[in-house]
Amino acid sequence: LNHYAKLFSFYAKMPMEKKAVEMVEKCLDKYFQHLCDDLEVFAAHAGRKTVRPEDLELLMRRQGLVSEQVSLHVLVERHLPLEYRQQLVPCAFSGNTVFPAQ
Amino acid sequence: MALSTTVSQKKLIKRKAPRGFLKRVFKQRKPHLRLETTSDLLVHLNCLLFVHRLAEEARTNACENKCGVIKKEHVLAAAKVILKKSRG
Repeated sequence: LNHYAKLFSFYAKMPMEKKAVEMVEKCLDKYFQHLCDDLEVFAAHAGRKTVRPEDLELLMRRQGLVSEQVSLHVLVERHLPLEYRQQLVPCAFSGNTVFPAQ
Repeated sequence: MALSTTVSQKKLIKRKAPRGFLKRVFKQRKPHLRLETTSDLLVHLNCLLFVHRLAEEARTNACENKCGVIKKEHVLAAAKVILKKSRG
């Protein structure tokens, strides 16, 4: 949780109180709880026991993060570093192959 | 006094995802479910966006109160809005 609290102060671009950091961590805890519950429901609805990327996409769509204008790949490109982007966004490689395979 | 109670900004942040941490949290909460290989990265992305929105909201709250520092109340008010928005 510490990692995300640091990110919070990075995104806030403002100094913050120590109490506020504790509050952020509490929020994150609650958020993770919601996240896990939602993913369980989505996976169960599809009759799976594995959480697949589609479930995450559906979740982000429901949260209003992914919409018609902003697709998931745009968000990935905006926020994740290159090595993760390569694993998530399909891209044409030499020899007419696409990685990762859809 | 003011300096000791506030946390200054970090100049450098890690961009690496704490994948082990994410998997561990998920396993703790839902021991019977599995995460597909790349979906933990998407969980990380989701967290980033959540934190981003929370930070923006807290900052606007602080600005409205003409406060140079983000206080606990600002975060609390922001959390109420954003947690509601981020329901699945």
